[in-house]
Amino acid sequence: MAKKSSLHRARTRTGIFFAAPALILVSAFLGIPIIQAGYFSFTEWNGVDANWLGISAYIQEFKNPIFWRVLENNGLLLLGVPIAILFPMGIAFLLNEKVMGWKIFRSIYFLPTAISWVVIGMVSMRFFAQEGLLNELLKAFGLGFIKTDLLSSEKGALFAVAITFIWSMVGTNSIIFLTGMATLDQSLNEAARMDGASNFRIFRSITLPQLNRFIQFSFVITVISAFTALFSLIFVMTGGGPGFGTTTLEFFIFQSAFSRGNFGTGAMLGVILFFMMAILGIGQLLLMRNKDE
Amino acid sequence: MRRKRLSLKTITAFISMCVLAVVMLYPFAFMINTSFKSKEQYFGQPGHSTASWGKLFKTLPVTQQLLNSTVVCAGAISIILVVSTMAGFAIAKMRSKASPVFFLGIVGAMLIPLQSIIIPAYINASKLNLLNGYWGAIFVYAALGSPFATFLMTSYFRGIPDDLVEAAIVDGLSYPKVFLKIGLPLAVPAIITVIVLQFIQVWDDLLVGLLFIQEPAYRTITVGLGALSAGRVTDIPVLMAGSLISAIPAVVVYLIFQRQLVNGLTAGIGK
Repeated sequence: MAKKSSLHRARTRTGIFFAAPALILVSAFLGIPIIQAGYFSFTEWNGVDANWLGISAYIQEFKNPIFWRVLENNGLLLLGVPIAILFPMGIAFLLNEKVMGWKIFRSIYFLPTAISWVVIGMVSMRFFAQEGLLNELLKAFGLGFIKTDLLSSEKGALFAVAITFIWSMVGTNSIIFLTGMATLDQSLNEAARMDGASNFRIFRSITLPQLNRFIQFSFVITVISAFTALFSLIFVMTGGGPGFGTTTLEFFIFQSAFSRGNFGTGAMLGVILFFMMAILGIGQLLLMRNKDE
Repeated sequence: MRRKRLSLKTITAFISMCVLAVVMLYPFAFMINTSFKSKEQYFGQPGHSTASWGKLFKTLPVTQQLLNSTVVCAGAISIILVVSTMAGFAIAKMRSKASPVFFLGIVGAMLIPLQSIIIPAYINASKLNLLNGYWGAIFVYAALGSPFATFLMTSYFRGIPDDLVEAAIVDGLSYPKVFLKIGLPLAVPAIITVIVLQFIQVWDDLLVGLLFIQEPAYRTITVGLGALSAGRVTDIPVLMAGSLISAIPAVVVYLIFQRQLVNGLTAGIGK
């Protein structure tokens, strides 16, 4: 008995020793900074001296029309999310037919996942440019009169960023759904077909519910990407402009701190982004838990 | 009748997939085609040349930047592996009252967006003089990658039966020995997944490198490119040659380790 408890103690000690490096690293570079961000969000801070403003720091920012303009951009990006999910779902169904060469196609679709946003942004910029492929394609289809210059208008530039974003999510999301489809219970389909159910009915009542978990996962991944992964794309493609046309919250954080020197405002915006993402994460956890019960 | 309909469906599916493949591969085609043009050829003159490739290596420190990227990746990934295998093993196999709390903390850290901590982290790093070489970026990348890696390692080590570990302890092995001799060899697939995921992540990143590497001589290739394109000094064929060079290592890693990458991606869905 005594031996066992000393063994237990030794195990606990070694366990703490083993966990310590991760704990120290993550605390130093994520844990402490997020707490600091919380503190400095209530201040006016130039990186050296901080001046306590309290809650009025937030109130001031909420009165700033640019802040709402930026959030509107985030909102508009959200409109792209359903497309970034449904389109790859369709692709996954295509791939799942397992026609000739489907594995090669799968690799091709997933390939952009390996490429930097910087590279994607540089190519995308030329694609949407006045002399770019988009306009050539329009001309080739007899739609030359449309001649677009998306990147020069606020809404157009955001549209171009959103299209690029959707394009780059194709690989990730179709892989998620392909994984999901591999888990489908085929016997349910057979049974339903025997009962005379139509293809659509089978899809809606049997396939979709089984894919629910995967749809949720892809939703969370897509929203997280839209809100926190597009910095480099925006940096390269539009620099946040024209005007504030493509400045999303994550880009606004960078601009506030590193272009304007308002580190306090940047920290505050970071805290707001953190809460948005935390609500999303916790919401998903709760949803999953409800399903289990 | 039924057969014919099926094959029509197959043909439609095949054609759609071909069209989509063209759409997904277009950036590569554009980069390759453009990089083999001189500036004049890009603006309409016919033909191809290697002039832009020559210019790329002559005017930009591409070789140095590729080396920098390699150093930063290697540094960050090494730290992530050491830290996450140890922590994962501790949570899964050296359970105590602290383990669930610690695990929750690690999972919670996965929720923190980079942009939320980057300002204080930048100021801290600058006070600690970490911005002059590689270390600032290496530590930030390591800290960002460690939570998910630890999560992955924990679920992997949980798959190893407790009996196996206990039997080894009874045989007189210490926990560190069990970790090195039994744990690590069994975790090799998870380790490869972490390496591949992190390599692509760190190699492709702009933001952390942009802020945490202040000396241009230490810049990674992606940051070098990002800075160039933002400067709007645009010799597009040269930029495309640079983009291609920067993309190749990650694409090669992807082509070899595709399966591990997919495993890592779908690990979050759970069972």
